[in-house]
Order: sequence, then structure tokens, then C-alpha cells
Amino acid sequence: MSAVLAPKPAKAESKLVVCDGNEAAAWAVSLANVDMVAVYPITPQSSLVEYLAKFIADGRLGAEIVDVEGEHSVLSVLQGACLAGARTYTASCGPGLAFMFEPYLRTPGMRLPLVMTIVTRDTLTPQSVWGGHQDAMSVREVGWVQMYCESVQEVLDTTIMAYKIAEHHDVMLPVNICHDGNYLSFGAARCELPDQAEVNAFLGEKDVNWHVALDPQRPMAVDPLTGGAGGPGPSAFVRYRKGQCSGMQNSLKVITDMHEEWGRRFGRSHAPLIESYRMDGADYAIVTIGSMTGAAKDAVDAARARGEKVGLVKVKTYRPFPAEALASALAQVKAFGVVDRSVSFGWNCGPLFQDAITAMQCAPTRIPAMSFIGGLAGADLTVTHFERVIGRTKELARDGRPAATVWLNEKD
Amino acid sequence: MGAAYETIYFKADACDGCNECMSACARAKAQSDDQLQSRIQIVPSGEGFELALCRQCGDPECVLNCPAGALAKNAGSGVIAWDGSKCVNCLLCTVGCAYGGIAYDAQAGHVIKCDMCAGDPACVKVCTTGALKHVKTARIYNEVGNLEDLFAPGLSGCQGCNTELIMRHTLRRIGPDVVVATPPGCIPGMGSVGYNGLTGTKVPVFHPLLTNTASMLAGVRRHYKRMGRDVMAVALAGDGGTADVGFQSLSGAAERGEEILYICVDNEGYMNTGMQRSGCTPYGAWTSTTPVGERAHGKTQDAKNLPLLMVMHNCAYVATASTAFMQDLYDKLERAIEAAKTGFAYLHIYSPCTTGWRFPSDQNIEVARKAVETNFVLLWEFNPRDGLQLTHPAENAKPIDEYLEVLGKYRHLDPDQVEHIERTLANNLARIRGFAAAKGTASAEAGRG
Repeated sequence: MSAVLAPKPAKAESKLVVCDGNEAAAWAVSLANVDMVAVYPITPQSSLVEYLAKFIADGRLGAEIVDVEGEHSVLSVLQGACLAGARTYTASCGPGLAFMFEPYLRTPGMRLPLVMTIVTRDTLTPQSVWGGHQDAMSVREVGWVQMYCESVQEVLDTTIMAYKIAEHHDVMLPVNICHDGNYLSFGAARCELPDQAEVNAFLGEKDVNWHVALDPQRPMAVDPLTGGAGGPGPSAFVRYRKGQCSGMQNSLKVITDMHEEWGRRFGRSHAPLIESYRMDGADYAIVTIGSMTGAAKDAVDAARARGEKVGLVKVKTYRPFPAEALASALAQVKAFGVVDRSVSFGWNCGPLFQDAITAMQCAPTRIPAMSFIGGLAGADLTVTHFERVIGRTKELARDGRPAATVWLNEKD
Repeated sequence: MGAAYETIYFKADACDGCNECMSACARAKAQSDDQLQSRIQIVPSGEGFELALCRQCGDPECVLNCPAGALAKNAGSGVIAWDGSKCVNCLLCTVGCAYGGIAYDAQAGHVIKCDMCAGDPACVKVCTTGALKHVKTARIYNEVGNLEDLFAPGLSGCQGCNTELIMRHTLRRIGPDVVVATPPGCIPGMGSVGYNGLTGTKVPVFHPLLTNTASMLAGVRRHYKRMGRDVMAVALAGDGGTADVGFQSLSGAAERGEEILYICVDNEGYMNTGMQRSGCTPYGAWTSTTPVGERAHGKTQDAKNLPLLMVMHNCAYVATASTAFMQDLYDKLERAIEAAKTGFAYLHIYSPCTTGWRFPSDQNIEVARKAVETNFVLLWEFNPRDGLQLTHPAENAKPIDEYLEVLGKYRHLDPDQVEHIERTLANNLARIRGFAAAKGTASAEAGRG
């Protein structure tokens, strides 16, 4: 059930705790020496901000906490603080993310390295308070880096890494760490807390507003009007946009480097962009994202034990999309099935499926693929579900004829 | 820059010739009931009255004419003082003065003139018609005239708009240790945040969203405070972004007591984008989204009383102000700046819009004045310790027609609509007076430290 590729003995300074994903995220924020957190509670994120409030009340985290009146102000307060030089954090999901969309949309354009957890939740309506990726997937094109975690430990480690990725001068973009509502938010597991001094050494000095600031010591106008027809406006706008795209593409390498450095420093490695699991000699593969991967790996192990030549590719970094890495990982298979926890309206399939087949345009031949959608609104994705995915993908590898999207929990 | 001085202002058409000013002056200066001994003289002239009074000239003829050195202009107060020990009674000073400001007093046996009663003129205190006013705005000129103007010259506001005045005065007074938020609207529209990488402001300035001005400023201020730096956070926002779509973040920031000076420049609608109605547009007003036609006659709802809503947040300071009353505006600005060091300060400044309200561009200050004189706009201030108080008398208000008739946006009003407006104003006044009367009870001692 773990994303840990090469476990090594924990260093002596580390501390072991048993915690859920929400607490792990709060630990990470504490270790990252964040200056300001702004919060507004929402299920299933609430316990995360409660942990933060407690850590601050106990003096464990020396940050300023701003309890605002809604998610729109959460991100707005943090934008202001970041422009004044603060390292910041928040978490939200579902309707809260929808409400903060206006400042959310603006954050990458201002190149502010905010870090925000999305404790993923299905969107309304139908009314639901349970997990699903529809919230995070709905904002996938906006310009935030998005990384999806598989385990509690990966939540903690990725949240700390997120600061170094966001604040890297080649990136300067906001980062979402997505962890699954219910399954990771409330699922407790063994978790290793890295040593504070080591984290400090890893993160280095914070440097968040060297490029854009609201500071009387270096006055500037932040976000003046650009665009329109004629004059220097349109080209300025294009340069801003292209710069944003470059930052996004640069982050592929930065994310990889940071995961590599993390492994070296802390003795724990996570796959940065995608993880290939038992792909050696695989005839066909399933593609997963987030916490479902644990059950999927168990199903792959069982199928391999039966002699099936099946492998798994997990997508961790979803934006920017690791197109080359995925195309290369799937290049040799005869078919693949993609399991999404959300839908892409208008395409009648999952968004990860859509991205995967787009990425496979790089492959020399067309590889048949199918979309599976499950785990909506907190539904469990079990080994049994993945056996079904494996079985159907095997069939596809044989006949090359993809069927319409399969809805996994429809008859549960 | 040279110095400016306080002065006594005479509004001839308000004078009813009661001569109380002359009696008061004679009593104060000569302990006499003889009006001839008054330093101020009101003289019938045709249908009305004229004023004979020392203007405390900047280049005084009386002083030039005096061969004995008995007259001298005080560089500090601006008052021309007469020194009886030097006077030789030649009366050359009276020949030089074109205003009848210095004259021979037979009973006293020497010339007499106004000395401004050491800054508290007796004549003004007894004038009940408003014909005499003690104008103290000189202080503003003297205090801010030499301070750096922190906006670029040549901002592109509409001709006659008073918003530029508000912006320049505010920032001059605050100084450079500030971060300014100007949400979408007239203020960035006139170039404060600039275009294509150029800025219109010499201090840090930014466009927040229309919705999150108070929240972004809260983040800025809090981080600087945390870093031990005293950087002021100031919003210059329109009424739409404040009262409508930005109200949630404003309310949240006020409730939390964020240390912000939030200035709402109220021109009663979305004037920058083509004059659409906002929650602050008054009843009956024409706007481009409350047009006038066969079946519609302007806005059908009253304006939201935003400053009063801010009082209900128990802010550290709340006030309404008008650019026709600069001394009052300045006093409030100073108190608001002070209050924003420890809590949320909200200043609501009325800004007649020459373009959107449809009146000649040279009439802005006059329109603003009429709004106050008719009680369409009430000037008051609030803090949690002292409660609410009116800062401009609301008695003897002029008929509302005097305000409505100068504005094109009210040209279509029928008598029923005017009656509705009169009712609304009466209710507003009663409500504000209610708050003023309740001061020291409900709201006292509830403020944040």
C-alpha cells in the first residue's frame, strides 16, 4: 500500500507518529516554517485546519493564522501576505475551491508560490460531502502545479517539497498537493516526521517576492493593465502568458530534482512524475492516480501471481502533465485502462484518460485504451474493482476494440 | 510654498442683516453695545448686504502706508496687528484699505481692526444663518502643501472629478510607507496602477479583484506587522466594489479588526464601466441599468447605508465626508489614519460624478455642498468609545429640490418620487440621530484595543 520505492532505515533524528493525512499535512506545514495560514473549514478538510490552529496555539508552528469569512478571502489574504514576503499555506476542497476560484485563477498569473492542499471532494450537485477528484480536476487547466498523493507519508513529504518547487526561480507558481478526501484525510498510518534542521537545510531561505512585491522599500505597481489592440499591450500579455507556460514546463525537471534530493537527504523516495509498478514485460497496464493506487497494486500483485502480464502506472504529477514519461512507460503495452475518480463532461470519460490518450500521440503506434470511472462521492475502490479493470483491459489487449466508459460503482 | 491663513468667509446671500455679529464684536472688543465699535460692519447694499472687514491681506496696503510701524502682519497667524503704542493717528492706513477693514473709532480715539479673536472669532459664533464662516482650511495647505504628491501628474480622470483630489490629499497625508489597493473602477481607471508596466503611483499600488480588496490588504498588513515593519494598508475603492460584490471580504476584515484604512469613494454606481446601478445608487436615480422610459423611472430601491453598516461592525473608526467640507474631511482622515494603526477604519467620501450624474464639470464641489446642505448626505463620525455624532448640523436643511434640480440623473422625477426621497432622507436623519442619542450606551466600551 505504499508509494515508497526504496525504503531505507529512518535517520536517527526522525520521529515516528501514527496520523492521518490531514494531520500529516499540518505537520509538514509546521516543519516548513510557514509565516501565514488562512483558513476556512470545510469537510473533509476541517481537521487539517484544526490541527494547524492547535499547532499554532501550542507554539509548535510560529505562523500567523487568519480565520477568515470564506475561501475567497483565504486565498486573497495569502496573496497579500505573499506579496509582502510571506511563505503561506491553506487547504480547501469542493464547494470551497469553487468559491475561491476567482483568486485561485489569478494566483499563477501573479506568479505567487502559494502552497495549498486540496483534500479532494466530489462537487455538487448531487449533494455529497465525500471524496472524489472532481474539485481538483475541475481546476486543472488554470495554471497551478498539481501533485496527487498515494499515502499519508507521501502527503507529508510532498507538502514540504511543494515549497521548494513553488519557490524555485525557474517555476514561481502555486502548487496544489491533492490528497483524497476520506481515504487519506482520515486514514491513519505510520508516518515518519523528518528532522527540523534537515528540513530547514532542504528548504533553504525563503524567497517568495523577489520578482513581484508590495513593499514601500521597492515600490512598484502590481498587475497594471495590459492587452487590448495596438501599442505594447498585447505583446506584454503574450509574454506574461508564455512565461507562465515556461514556469509550468520547467517544473517537470524541478519536481524530479526535488524528489531526488528528498530521497538523498531523508532516505525516503517517491516517484516524482509517474511511478511504474511491475511494468517489466507487461502486456497491458492500468493507469491510476491518488490513494486508489494501493488497492490497484494489490490487484496487480495478485494477477501477476496468477501469471497475468499486467503492470501499473501511477500518475503523481498531473499538472504539468508528464506526457513524455507516461508515453514512454506505456510504449510497449498492447492496451491500457485508465481509472479516474472524476468525469470530463462533454467527453463522457475521465479527465486522466483524456490526458493519457493525448500523451500517447507521441507513441509510434496507436495503443487501444479504455476509461474507467469509480470512487465518486466516497465510493470504495477495492481489489475486486481493479480485478474487473484488469480483466477488461486484458480483453482489450486481445481484441483491440475499446468499449464505452465503464462506471465501476454503478451496481455496488 | 508660502503660508496660508485662516479667514472669515462672508456669504452675502445668506445674510439677513440681523447685525448680531456687530453686537458680538463690539462686546468682545470694546465691552460696548455700540455697533459702531464693531470691527466687522455689515452694510446694506441694494437688496442685500456687504461686508466691511479686514481681509488680513497677504500684501497689505495698510501696512505699507503706515509711517510709524504700528501695523505688522504676523507671519505665524497671518493677522495684521495694530500697535497702539506706535500709532500716530495719521489714518493713512484707512486710505490704503479697499475693504473698509480698518477705520477710525471716534469713541476710542484711534483706528480699530479685526484681530480674528485669537482664532475663535466672536462674530462667527453668533451668526445663525451661515453667512459668516471661519474657514480653517489654511491649515491643510500649510501642512500638506510641502508634502510630496505621491500620484503621478496628469491622471486621466474625467474633467471636474473630485476623486483625484481625494487620492492626492490622502496619500500626501499618509506618506510613502504605505501599500495602496485600488480595485477595478474609476481609481485604477484613471491610471493609478498604470498601463503596460508603467505606474501612476509613487508608492506600492495594486489591483485587487473587485471582490477581495480588504482581504488582500489584511494579508499585506499582517505580514509587515509580523516582521516588525509599520506599513500602512489603504484601500481607495468605489462604492460598487465596496457595497456589493466586495462586501463579504470587507465585512470579514472589519469583524476581525484588520488594521486597514478603507476609503470608499462613493459616486453612487459603477460609473467607470458606463454608469450602471450599484447598491449605493439612490432611489429614483437614472443609471444605464435603471433607465427612464415609459414604464420605468429610474431606480426603484433606496441606497444601502454602507457607512452605517460599518458602524454595526463596531469598527475602530467610521465617518462620512465630503470634498465640499475639506476641513471636516481632513479631521476625519487624520482620525481614520490613527485608528487604522490598531483596528479597522472606514471612511465614506461622497464623490459627485460629473459624467454619470449629468451636471457641468465645474460644479462638483457645489453639488457636493448642496448634498450636505439638503441633508441628502449626512456628515458624521463614529468610534466605539464616543459613539456616533453628527459633524455638520442637520437643522435648517435646504429643500431637497435645490439638490435634485441640478442633477440630470433626477430630471425625470415625478412628485411622488420626490416625496419618496424626502421620506427616505427624514428616516435616515431620524436613524442617525437615534444612534447619536444612544452614544455612550450600546456601543460604548465595546471597541477593540
